[in-house]
Formats: sequence, C-alpha cells, structure tokens
Amino acid sequence: MSESENKINKNILIAVDESENARRAVSYVGQLLGGLPGFKVSVLHVIPDPEEDYFPDQKEKDKWLARTKQKVDTMLADYRKILIDAGFSENDLSTRSTLRYCPSMVECILAERDETHFDTIVVGRQGVSRSEEFLFGSISSKIVNHAENCTVWVVR
Amino acid sequence: MFMNSHDNEDKIRERAAHWMPNRDDKKPIRIVTDTTDFFKVQFNDVVQIGGKAYLIRHNAKEGRFGLDDEVKQWVKRSIDLETEESKILKLVFYEKFMASVGQIEFECFRSPRKEARILDLVKDHPNFMHGFSVEDEKGNLVRILDYIYGPPLSQLVGNLTMDHREYFFEHFPSILSKFIECIDAIRFIHEHGEKHGDIRRDHIFVDRESKSYRWIDFDYNYRHRENIYGYDLFGLGNILMFLAGKGDVLLPDLKRQKPEVLESLVEDDLNIVFRNRLANIKKAYPYIPERLNRVMMHFSLGAKWYYEHTSQLLEDLQDAQRDF
Repeated sequence: MSESENKINKNILIAVDESENARRAVSYVGQLLGGLPGFKVSVLHVIPDPEEDYFPDQKEKDKWLARTKQKVDTMLADYRKILIDAGFSENDLSTRSTLRYCPSMVECILAERDETHFDTIVVGRQGVSRSEEFLFGSISSKIVNHAENCTVWVVR
Repeated sequence: MFMNSHDNEDKIRERAAHWMPNRDDKKPIRIVTDTTDFFKVQFNDVVQIGGKAYLIRHNAKEGRFGLDDEVKQWVKRSIDLETEESKILKLVFYEKFMASVGQIEFECFRSPRKEARILDLVKDHPNFMHGFSVEDEKGNLVRILDYIYGPPLSQLVGNLTMDHREYFFEHFPSILSKFIECIDAIRFIHEHGEKHGDIRRDHIFVDRESKSYRWIDFDYNYRHRENIYGYDLFGLGNILMFLAGKGDVLLPDLKRQKPEVLESLVEDDLNIVFRNRLANIKKAYPYIPERLNRVMMHFSLGAKWYYEHTSQLLEDLQDAQRDF
C-alpha cells in the first residue's frame, strides 16, 4: 500500500460548544453515519480555562467551574441523544469535557486529537463576520490550516 | 527608610502637613491602611503601605479627543513622603463588562494582578511605565507607579500644526521609528504570554526626559477567542494609521476636504472595524510609500490575510522603514 493509501480509522471527533453551529455539526454526523457499522464518535468540549486574572479569588473560580461543568454535562448529554436518535449505538459513542488553558482553542482541540488518534475532526462553521475573525480569529478557519495527519469536516 | 520602627503616625502627619500650608489644623490628617473602598481615600489623606507613606493629591483623569475627562477614583496622584517624588497609586478595582468595538461585543475585565505581573516583567524595559506592587493590610494589591512627564502620543501628534506632507516627511520617520520600538515592546510581553489589553494612542506617553515612547495602563484584559493577541494587534494597527495619517482619516473629513478622494473609495479601502475611517491612506496622501501602505491594508476590509503575531507586523514595518 502506498503512503497515500494509508488506512484511515473510522473514529470521528466532533469538537463542540454550546452554539447552533456545533449542534448542526453533531446532527450532520448523525444523519450521515448513524446506523452504519464501524464508526466510533467522540463528542469533545474543551472548556477554556480563564486566565488567573479573570476571577478576584479562587472561590469565585470554583463557583464558575461548578456552574460551567453542569452546563457542559447537560449540553453533551443532549448531543449524545441526537446521535443515538440518529442510529448510533451507545457503545460507539463517548463524550468528553476537559478544562484547559487555551491561548488557541484549535491547538487544544488538536492536542486532544493527538492523544486519542481520531482520523477525522468535525467542527461547525462559526459564521463570524470578517471583522470578528480579524479581531478574535475563527476556529473553523484555523483548524483547516493547522490540522495535520487528519481530515477536517467543517459543517455549515 | 522613612518608615522604621521608631516612626509613628505623628511623624507621618508632620511630614504631610508641610505639603498643605492652608490646612485646617483642627482636622487631623487621616492615615489609611485599608484601601478597599477607594472612594473613601481622599485628597490630603496619607496611604501607609509597604513601609512607606504617600500623601494623596488628586484623582487621575482619563480623556480622549479633548472631551470631558473621566475621573478614575481608583487612581490617585500622590507624593512619596520620604523621597518627595510624585507617584501614582492604583488601588484595586475589579470590573467585568462587555466592551464593543464597531458591532462586535466581547468580555473585558480589569485585573490588578495582571498589571503587577507586567510591571515586574518590564521593570528594566524603556518602553513601559515603571513601578511596583504592594499589598495593603487587607491584601489589596496596590500598584505604585512612577510619574511619566510628557504628553500622550495622541496629543503630541494632534498638536503639530504643519500640513500632512511636511509632517510626513519631516516628523513621521522618527515617530515611526519610536513607534516600532513600542511594537517591539508589545512583542516582548506577548512572548511572555501577556496581553497589553487596552492598546490606544493615548496609552503611549512620550517621556520628556528619556525621549522614549512608553506604554501605560496594562490592567485591562479581554477574553480572547481563537487569536489571543488579535485585539492588541488591532490596537497597534489603529495607532499606525493614526500616525501615518496625522490623525484618523475620517470619511466625513474627506467629504469636506477631498471629495474626489471620497469618490474614488471602495469598501476594501476602509478600516476593517471602524467603517468611517480610511485604512488605504495612500488614496488620501499619494506620497505614502507602497510598502507602508501595504502594512496598513492588513487592517482594511480588503485584507486577505491578518497579522496573528506582533513579530509579523514588526518585520513588515521594518521593511517599510527602508523607504524613509
């Protein structure tokens, strides 16, 4: 087998947040692959750990973290249900949330992928304006340019 | 040192009294050791902190474009009663709010810890304000800053009275050179993982003594998204365009002064966020060299590629400098 014909695995990593675009990405994977054998899907949410300056003290940070984790757990359970309803078996699904300081969210997502060996990453297209992309960047644009050794699907 | 074990509050009051000849003697000078409620720290109080005593003068003000100055109650001008030097005391003020630039909203917050950290980082750097931080008796992190004598850069440029051509060829090259030093200073903090957070033309002071341009006020921070330094870079681009244009080149001004230029504009020529400002400044002033204009076009609606790191902007600007 030539290098260009390396066997890819059927593991799909969907990187999500609470946005409508992320929901669309989950739904797309469900509709496209639900019920097909061999695919394993992991839904990942990286919680961006705010800089230490964001909170006046640790107590405030702990409160924020507890609130955020609860919200994220609810969101991931919701995405999981979308995939099950689309035909995925529970055994082929996993969800994961992780708290990381992310100077770049893309780098955090790619670091997670490197640890888990998923050959395909799926993200929702953010649809930010040009000004917004200029000021704050765009995850979907950047991940397409920076991801190596994997395929990226950007769902719009 | 002024404050040792033998010093007492009477001595502090005695020293402070020298600075207020018309004081009402019946009212004792208040010595403050807890600065939590900064509204209560007032004119003629003495803040005793870190083994030193500072006589409070006025609250600092901040204003832009010559409009009403905003009083910053948490920033106090003061006198170090030991050295008699002017110092600025920045008391702890936490705030979080949604800021907006153009139509874009983002979360901002003020952090004394961030500013204290950067003060340590830049203590030997000529292009930043200098100072140190110390906790009061309640653990409030107060920053004690050296006074910079000199105007903000915006004022220096705003006060120049010659026409643009003369400004551009006679003054701008040296201004650009010093501004490049400022960008390099921002690169330095970025490389240490810190943002400035509030890059504006009136946050650079022109030090009369050292002649250096110096950044002030780095207690602001913003919740970044994908590009951690994008907002800082946007601030640098805006200052560059302000300097090259000898002020913002605004569409209403063009309409009055150069209607033919206004007629020739396309959307791509405008500032990517502030749509009433020109980014393609060469259209207003055709003698602006192409290489410099190309740098400014990275901040225009027509930009195909944006700077992500200060070093990229620096490299292009240093290249553009060869035209002067």
